[in-house]
Amino acid sequence: MIDNGLLVQMLLGALLGLSVYLPLSAGQLSLATPAFYAVGGTLAALLSTRWSALGATAAGSLPPASFLLVLILGGLLAGGLAVVVGQLVLRLRGIYLAISTIALVEIVRVAILNLPFTGGAVGIFSIPQPFSEAGGYLVPALAMLGLTAALCHRLETLPLGRAMGAIREDELAARCMGIDTTRVKLIAFVISAVVAGSTGALAAHFLNTWNARQGSFDVSVTTLAFVILGGSRTWLGPVAGGLLLTALPELLRPVGDVRLVVFGLVILLGPVIFPGGLVTTGLLERLGRSFVPRRHSASEVR
Amino acid sequence: MATAQATPSNALCSDRLARRRRGSLRFAAVLALGLGSIAWLGRATDPATRPLAGKPITLGATIALTGNANLYGQDQRAGLTIADRWFREVGFVEPEGSAEGLSLRLQIEDGGSDEPSAIAAFNLLIREGVVALIGPTLSQQAFAADPIPQRQGVPVVAPSNTASGIPQIGHFISRVSAQSSVIAPLSIAEALRRDPSIRRVALFYAQDDAYSTAESSIFLKALKARGLTPVTVQRTQIAENDFQAPITSALRHQPQLVVMSVQAVAGGNMIRQLRELGYQGQIVVGNGLNTPNIYPICQRWCNGILIAQAYSPELDTPINRAFLRLFREFHGSQPPPQITAQAFTAYQVLAESLQRLQRKRALDSVTLGQARARLMDELLAGRYQTPLGPIHFTPDGEVVQSRFYVAEVRMDPGGRDGRFALVREQQLPEVTP
Amino acid sequence: MIELVLQSLLNGAASGGVYALVALGYTLIFSVLGVINFAQGALFSIGGYFTYLLLGGKIGANGAFPGLALPAGLPFWLALLLAAVASGLVGLLVERLAFAPLRRSGSEPLQALITSLGAGVVLVNLLQILMGAEGYSFPEGALLMAGLPDALVIAGARIRTVQLLLLVVSVVAVVMLTIWLERSRAGKALRAVAEDPTTALYLGIDSGAMVRLAFFLSGAMAGLGGGLIGLSVSLPGPYFGIGYGLKGLAVLVLGGLGSVPGAIAGGLLMGLAEALVPPDASGWRDAMAFTILFAVLLVRPSGLLGSGPIEKV
Repeated sequence: MIDNGLLVQMLLGALLGLSVYLPLSAGQLSLATPAFYAVGGTLAALLSTRWSALGATAAGSLPPASFLLVLILGGLLAGGLAVVVGQLVLRLRGIYLAISTIALVEIVRVAILNLPFTGGAVGIFSIPQPFSEAGGYLVPALAMLGLTAALCHRLETLPLGRAMGAIREDELAARCMGIDTTRVKLIAFVISAVVAGSTGALAAHFLNTWNARQGSFDVSVTTLAFVILGGSRTWLGPVAGGLLLTALPELLRPVGDVRLVVFGLVILLGPVIFPGGLVTTGLLERLGRSFVPRRHSASEVR
Repeated sequence: MATAQATPSNALCSDRLARRRRGSLRFAAVLALGLGSIAWLGRATDPATRPLAGKPITLGATIALTGNANLYGQDQRAGLTIADRWFREVGFVEPEGSAEGLSLRLQIEDGGSDEPSAIAAFNLLIREGVVALIGPTLSQQAFAADPIPQRQGVPVVAPSNTASGIPQIGHFISRVSAQSSVIAPLSIAEALRRDPSIRRVALFYAQDDAYSTAESSIFLKALKARGLTPVTVQRTQIAENDFQAPITSALRHQPQLVVMSVQAVAGGNMIRQLRELGYQGQIVVGNGLNTPNIYPICQRWCNGILIAQAYSPELDTPINRAFLRLFREFHGSQPPPQITAQAFTAYQVLAESLQRLQRKRALDSVTLGQARARLMDELLAGRYQTPLGPIHFTPDGEVVQSRFYVAEVRMDPGGRDGRFALVREQQLPEVTP
Repeated sequence: MIELVLQSLLNGAASGGVYALVALGYTLIFSVLGVINFAQGALFSIGGYFTYLLLGGKIGANGAFPGLALPAGLPFWLALLLAAVASGLVGLLVERLAFAPLRRSGSEPLQALITSLGAGVVLVNLLQILMGAEGYSFPEGALLMAGLPDALVIAGARIRTVQLLLLVVSVVAVVMLTIWLERSRAGKALRAVAEDPTTALYLGIDSGAMVRLAFFLSGAMAGLGGGLIGLSVSLPGPYFGIGYGLKGLAVLVLGGLGSVPGAIAGGLLMGLAEALVPPDASGWRDAMAFTILFAVLLVRPSGLLGSGPIEKV
């Protein structure tokens, strides 16, 4: 039912979901993820096809070490851009931030389309492949998802993560508690951009080709849907949402022409049926109960 | 949040947090396990080693039935469905006996208008054991999806990819859609034949559309070959339909000829708005407008525009007559668009090649993988009488089509319907583009 | 030079009027609920197709019922009006499915973004299944343009007559709506709910009814816009409203959320700015709207005519 190619796409979806989740966990609704995704992908596509030092062969293969380097560079460029952009846009609140980040996505899209070295509408194609088949991408995609997830999980107990949570609950209160809100928000924004940039670099190779259409307003809202449908209160929500919503249109193929209608209905009804998303903190607390009932009740009493 | 409000004691709070984190890890473990088993179950299951016999042979098609390119996909679906029906009823090569023992099935999957959907659809069809693939609709999708069948040795015939470099993706990739480099100059030549005094040319093209950008550069080259440089170049967007600003800006340069490379509906609008805003000179349009879909859009204003065609509904050959008859049975009075004829042709060349293999008994007791390889060789070796005219392939898989047409749109007095009246049929020498 | 300036003004006004109409649809809902309705673009498409069908237009070959049409077409203005009402009713349906359940359960406004997006996806794809993807133009009989010249020339600057008509109707619709909001009982009640739901409750205003009213009006605005655009550029396929929806969003924020005069000013400004992009840089025109938006937000974080920070999303 789900082949390895689709599985890679699902993992990329989960990564993009986490990229939207990170600023949101600091209370910032940023839809800039596709812009950083596009920047990372474009850089990767350019480097792998043009930079001979990476060692791409004429047969179209790429040494794994070069691939890794490109992933890192894609993330770094996106992160660098985020440092600049973040300082400008993070002063905005709520919907103004959301719309200005959509504006960023559109500006980046038009720029990639118009720059003289990005291939215009056709884009960049015949990107060298580090693996001989799609399944090979599972390893780096899983590794990136694992790393990002571990970071998010770790953040929950770190001062930075707590500060992000505090800003989400009440930014003013957080500032009064002595939290450098500007810095914390920026860090969350930059991490999100690095994740998106590296994901773009991976996607460019996986897709064999890259063009301006890859980062668009559509991607902004789809990735937001990953987070909202999956649950925005824990990092597992966007992961589950990204995996599920990426797979869904493919799983719906048997219903034929109405598959996108059904897909739309799922997005429409999902938040109505699961108001907190699929993965809620309550669910995790129930899951986390001790298996030994005695100890469990003891802790309740204490 | 609940944790922040309902916490009578710190101990309980930290206990719940710990529990939540434990739950997260457990959930993550389950998720990882699930992903692991999906990866295990979904590992490459190429059915290439299975014997071919015992099942109807399946042709898979991936076309854009959703998303922005859906109009093309729907026109392509019409062509494929008609071809499938035609094959069932008559068979392409010989009326009797040719399809003996060859039962063919067509499976159409929506490839959306984006790269990931096209990849997923190709993967799905390959896994289900199709002998060859038709599609995808857009060139950008082809650059993403074609490497997959190339790696797995599945023949692909592209019905509508015109970007350069597509057949060069590999041995198994071919196309029946001629590149605009061959076609586009013909209409420019016709316009200049009609009015040799033309000096001032305006060029419009949709800059975010792969097809239009490629075609516009061909137009530029053709103009340059005649010593003309556009006095203005206006870039529009593929989804744009209101051209008030670019047109008024272009008209300031008083062009004598307008050349446009945009997609069908946008092109219809551009023609109408040019005329409404007072432009009276000649208009040459790109191949994207070779569809009757433009008639209702530009109405009486369509009259007189020049277009070079890879397909002319007015071509009088047995196969085109049959194609027209079947198309009209399904779609009423209008002639078929070029993209429908090309989709029909993609199915036809594959079906005829399979027929030839069948007759040579080359499909007996082979595996699917062997059948795919033989089909590719047979496809490239054959010559075909198609609705587009006679075609064959270069060893690369590039189509060689020798007959092209220049047509002029003539609208009915009511201005709602019209036809592409054949002005000139061009027999090009058989060179690879 | 004067001619060039005038031409740019006309070009800007031609597209700006429609942008304002779209933005106004968003504004109505935002001012009452503090949320953005992502289904607005789809309603725009729906308005165009409703108008087409009411004019007696036939469903094309790729639709679900090829060749089907109303027995007789209506005159254009009546068809446009009815299409606007029908789109308003679809707007009500969207409220019922995508917004009402969330309000009842008191969820975060963030979720309404996604449910309304889902509603939009459903509507556009249903439209495609029913009508096919082909382009449609309004039946000839409906063209009230007969007898009028194709374009007007004012001091050397040109504008298509249909664009001018579109601008006039948009402006009339926007002004009428503004006056109605200012003067009528229902309009005042609507504004009261928008400004302070709690006080409105004490005043005995049924806020649920006002929310529905806002959705109906906003759907009707979108429907009107879709029908008008159809007159100018035909219906280029079920997705055509989405692009206007995105631009409208930029206009909405440019003018200041929830501000009706802001939406109008923003629309005209946006149209003008796009018209002023030099032809050599015409590839960058689409970025223009968003660059301006970006710049304005950096200087005035609440838009041109917006007031105070809005925390809701």
